[in-house]
Amino acid sequence: MTMTAPTDGRQTSSRRLIAAARRDPLLTIGLCIVAVSIFLALFGTAIAPKSPTDPTGAPSEHPSLSHWMGTDASGLDVFSQVISAPRTDVVLAVSAALVSSVLGTLIGLTAGYFRTWWAEVVMRISDVIQAFPVFILGMMLVALSGRNTGNLIVALSLLYTPIFIRLTRAEVLTQRNRSYVESARAMGNSEWKIAFRHVLPNSLAPSLIQLSVTVGFGILLTAGLSYVGAGVRPPTPEWGLMISSSANQLILGEWWPSVFPGLAISLTVFGFAAVGNAIERRVGG
Amino acid sequence: MIQEVVLEARGVGVSYEEGRDAVSGFDLRIHRGEIVGLIGESGCGKTSAALALMGLARHPGRVTGSVLYDNRNLLEMTDSELREIRGRSIGLITQKPRQSLNPFLTIGTQISRVFRAHNRATREEAQAHAIELLEAVGINDASRRLTAYPHELSGGMAQRALISMAMSSRPQLLIADEPTSGLDVTIQAQFLDRMWERAQATGSAVLLVTQDLGIVANYCDRIVVMAEGRVIEERTVRDFFVSPQQEYSKRILAVQSAERTSNPTARRSDDSTALVDVKGLSKHFVLPDKRRLQAVQDVDLSIPAGHAVGLVGESGSGKTTVGRLLVRLLEPDAGTVVFAGKIITTLDSKAFRPQRARLQIVFQDPFDSLNPRWTVNRIVREPLDLHGLGRNQQTNKMTAEEKQRRIVELLELVGLDRDVGDRKAAALSAGEQQRVCLARALATQPEFLVLDEPTSALPPAARVEMVRLLADLRKRLGISYLFISHDLWTVSQVCDEVAVMYLSQIVEQGSRAQVFEHPAHPYTQALLDSVLRPDPTDRRVDRERKDLSGEIPSPVDLPAGCYLAGRCPLAEGRCREERQELVTMDDGRSVRCWKVAPATRRAP
Repeated sequence: MTMTAPTDGRQTSSRRLIAAARRDPLLTIGLCIVAVSIFLALFGTAIAPKSPTDPTGAPSEHPSLSHWMGTDASGLDVFSQVISAPRTDVVLAVSAALVSSVLGTLIGLTAGYFRTWWAEVVMRISDVIQAFPVFILGMMLVALSGRNTGNLIVALSLLYTPIFIRLTRAEVLTQRNRSYVESARAMGNSEWKIAFRHVLPNSLAPSLIQLSVTVGFGILLTAGLSYVGAGVRPPTPEWGLMISSSANQLILGEWWPSVFPGLAISLTVFGFAAVGNAIERRVGG
Repeated sequence: MIQEVVLEARGVGVSYEEGRDAVSGFDLRIHRGEIVGLIGESGCGKTSAALALMGLARHPGRVTGSVLYDNRNLLEMTDSELREIRGRSIGLITQKPRQSLNPFLTIGTQISRVFRAHNRATREEAQAHAIELLEAVGINDASRRLTAYPHELSGGMAQRALISMAMSSRPQLLIADEPTSGLDVTIQAQFLDRMWERAQATGSAVLLVTQDLGIVANYCDRIVVMAEGRVIEERTVRDFFVSPQQEYSKRILAVQSAERTSNPTARRSDDSTALVDVKGLSKHFVLPDKRRLQAVQDVDLSIPAGHAVGLVGESGSGKTTVGRLLVRLLEPDAGTVVFAGKIITTLDSKAFRPQRARLQIVFQDPFDSLNPRWTVNRIVREPLDLHGLGRNQQTNKMTAEEKQRRIVELLELVGLDRDVGDRKAAALSAGEQQRVCLARALATQPEFLVLDEPTSALPPAARVEMVRLLADLRKRLGISYLFISHDLWTVSQVCDEVAVMYLSQIVEQGSRAQVFEHPAHPYTQALLDSVLRPDPTDRRVDRERKDLSGEIPSPVDLPAGCYLAGRCPLAEGRCREERQELVTMDDGRSVRCWKVAPATRRAP
């Protein structure tokens, strides 16, 4: 769609990214947020000024210089919790998005390219998965498999895979009719080779766009499940859990233990969505 | 001769945001009842110039200068004044008919709306007018067609609906931007005939933007040549064809008149064994609504080693399907293909795969045929990775250096620079893309090449170069071609033998001289007649025409008797009842028409 980016193959991808970011402020903000959240996922616990799990002994303190975001009812430092939470939220969402995108793209490719009876079965199964409200299905899956990080990743991946199947399959269906596919066949490629070497690389754009957006959704869903008690167990620092445990305090005017994690969620989801949006505009998908 | 000036452009310029002006200093005067041809290579600014005459420019373009219509400057008018003129006084026909029609409205509604936007008329009057207009452009059964949606129309039909719309208010000037690109020759001729007739009848002037000198020679009075955004030559058509002044004009005229030079026919010796031998080939497709589409019916074809056979016909005749069947991209319902003495139609697909090195195909759309993410080097290397060098060296895998050397050799063979190898398809011109496709097809030294409309997506200059290259490669490599095309000129340049296909069957087959110089079948005659020669002294509009009426019928419900009976000027009762056989005549050609080749004269 946008023709402004010069298509010079020799430019390195990092340089192109910088050039693109300069022209697109939304992308710049998005990239910063994504970078910060990934940084915190790796080092958040290490750089937290207080322990996110050990009470400071000073409950319900207002935000101050010693506690930037105050402390909650049990005396935990809110700032330390907020910057430690990405280790759970972001890691979970990123893993689930990666698993579901790889899985969904491969299934979508085979279902779209080969169009056999089992492809139909796969599509109907993903219809069924997508027919359920995501949140309810997420709660059910966690309830069935038990509350731990691994199970949450599995549940989230299962929920998001159909999106990638659908997107990839749709793209594959248009790509497989193009002459380069027929040329590849006429040259003597096997069908599997055509699917993986020719069609797959040309069908990745929609999944790449969706990937970033899915991370955002994943963070929201992880927080949501934890909020209703179907996510990670306390005292793991986690945004949804923080909001839920401090929601009662809102009524007493203690807004800080729930508003700050809420802001963190919004910002992170926005950041990933902005990056996805920018990729979409660039790829022209 | 003093004529009334309809529109005058003075120093018109079109500029886009980034630097270069698409058009600058464009002057043009169009007189009443005159047809002006505007030619030039793609990207020379002719479309921008034509649109600028209506005050239009593609976003974010800006139009400068002045366009005088009726003593007023179009470029200084308000939007509502312009709307009055556009569509009413100046009509526009664009290149892509289907994209110019609203897919949600019937064509009747669209034509009446345009009419009612500019004229006081009731719905019924507008409807009646629309029927009249459609009939005037040769659409049979116009009242029923009014209720058709654009997707239900063929390309030629949609283009004619557009001209009806453009002509609905009898504009004084019609701007037609490559109105026939992508149409079959027969439909192109029909359409231009109608446009010419309408213009003569209504006294409208026409500005015809095109790249095809054949069109200019046959329909235009005056020619304007553009290059790099400027008018470089402006003459009457007759003068232009006799003595073009500019270097560029001479070049394009030489290129497009090349058809006058004919090369000698290689006589086919009877004892030469066929490299490709096709017997009784048939193929049908099942449409989504379960109807049966007979694409190819009982086709026999034999291609001797080193020969080139042309397969011509309108789109929808099944010629592309034949090409795909020959290289087994499709499986036939019946019939056999023998290649180099081996039946290849019954081989299982795995066993056939190594054979693919020996028979290759080049498709119509070169950009679509190249993996957009791959560099040219990688594209040309792929067949080498798969097959080694082909035939004799199938067991030897090539080393990386051997492959690289072969890639350079192949690029040189098709006339490309070696540094093209690092680029991707999108960075190449259509002609270069098609050369890459050709290099890839030749990589494994195939003995037989199917060329499926290899030149029809190319601009005229590139088309001529490609035809020369193909003829040259055949001589140098001794390769055999099946050359599929609806462009009779290219076929005549490359092939020794020609088969004409109509509606799934071969209707005439013979040597090039037989088919092109003395066509026997009425369909072949009509096809040849619709070729527009770049020669203003032999205009189609001046001659008596052997036209076919209407368009190729749908291969879903085939007629009972001769398939051509519905369109044939010679048709009579017997034609509509009797199925026609392909009969070999005394001079060796085969014709499927009892009037030309009675079955009694069938060779023993």
